[in-house]
Amino acid sequence: MKLFFVLLKNELKLNIRNMNMVIFAVIMPLVVLLILGLLNGTKPASDGVDYTFMEQSFGALCAISICAGGLMGLPLLVSEYRERKILKRFKVTPVSPIKLLVVELVIYIIYCLVSLITLIPMLMIFYKGTIHGSWLAFLGSWLLTMISTLSIGMMVGGIAKDTKIASVIASLLYFPMLIFSGTTLPFEKMPEAMQKIVSMFPLTQGIQLMKATFLGLSVDNIKVPLIVMITVTVLCTGISVKCFKWE
Amino acid sequence: MEEVIKVQQLTKNYDNVTAVDNISLTVEKGTVFGLLGPNGAGKSTTIECILGTKEADEGQVSILGYNPKKHRVKLFQKVGVQFQESDYQPEIKVSELCEETAALYKNPVDWRELCRQFGIGSKIKNPVKSLSGGERQRLFIVLALIPTPEVVFLDELTTGLDAKARRDVWKILSSLKEKGLTVFLTSHFMDEVEALCDKICILKKGKVAFYGTVEQAKVVSGCEKFEDAYLVLSGQEVDEE
Repeated sequence: MKLFFVLLKNELKLNIRNMNMVIFAVIMPLVVLLILGLLNGTKPASDGVDYTFMEQSFGALCAISICAGGLMGLPLLVSEYRERKILKRFKVTPVSPIKLLVVELVIYIIYCLVSLITLIPMLMIFYKGTIHGSWLAFLGSWLLTMISTLSIGMMVGGIAKDTKIASVIASLLYFPMLIFSGTTLPFEKMPEAMQKIVSMFPLTQGIQLMKATFLGLSVDNIKVPLIVMITVTVLCTGISVKCFKWE
Repeated sequence: MEEVIKVQQLTKNYDNVTAVDNISLTVEKGTVFGLLGPNGAGKSTTIECILGTKEADEGQVSILGYNPKKHRVKLFQKVGVQFQESDYQPEIKVSELCEETAALYKNPVDWRELCRQFGIGSKIKNPVKSLSGGERQRLFIVLALIPTPEVVFLDELTTGLDAKARRDVWKILSSLKEKGLTVFLTSHFMDEVEALCDKICILKKGKVAFYGTVEQAKVVSGCEKFEDAYLVLSGQEVDEE
């Protein structure tokens, strides 16, 4: 356990020193919140609903940090450690690869948590937002979205040969998901045909679930997002542990 | 004498090139073993196959009675390694790298003391990337010694060090050897090999060209100076003008 915390402390310090994740996972969601707030204020999401546009977008805002950590930060970091032969140095020590991956995973969970914790008061104070559904259900769907997205990142980082390949895969995953899954462009404003396509992204499922649980909407078929996200998590975690490469 | 490292018929091929060709060697407890040879002779590949970071095509390896591939976790509690190309997290400080390394082991030595012994005690708050080449090299020897190892592998241990620093490293290694540490090293400095190594193995294109003591190398080659003996035995003899 001591090893875990020493590694976590050091790796977290290094990660913060690097600033990338501080910007993309903590500051950027706040900036997007402020921009959306400037445009929409406390307007209702559409005529005849009792929740505001900002409340409707809250799940998507929480997904920005998840996206940045899981699809950019984590895969790039692990592949960089491999390319720089830092993992090779770890290979000739008694540490297990699973412990290393878990340490890095926890770091990105911390970023997502910090983002969530800073977004909530901003929404409440500036845009009078409140949760219409249940916190428990919302946090559950947040957790599931985060874990499934991070597991994708772990898989990419675990098996990509070098930073170049990891960054290509990461970009292929990150930008479409960030732009089209409802994180930056509101899902509701997309044409229907496009909505159908982007529904296939696991992150879209997560955001829809977060939105529904935050607004207290009934979810037509909760099984679909659950099955999609749990399958992705199990599959990607399995692959990343099984196919982990030190070099 | 207890055999700490035992390598039998180790072979490693890259595509069509045999980088390591049927190498066998043993290293006894409390001795220093030097693996020598020109660049590209297969030294680093041999070390990596012994440690299990590269997969050998044929042959058996045992270190402290363990198979490095099967018993990685147990073995590397007792073995320290310094690779020729080691890298570190981009923004890491000396103290953080040492602390992180020490946390990996059950009985780590006091790394602050070790840094002082190696002359980098005043640098522990600095980022690793700000160290000079020689300081960084010494830091990586420190890292290899942090586990309180029974065996230590040092690939080109004093490359980049000045004369004084080299002597200091020799002195520390000699005193650790007296306490029972087994050292497996590669080096391009023949004075170093002569001062430290109990036994040497000279590689030539992946094959063992000589295996024995420094004195035997001089006798076999008919040279008075060990460096000349090395050049003759490794097939790099310079024509006399």
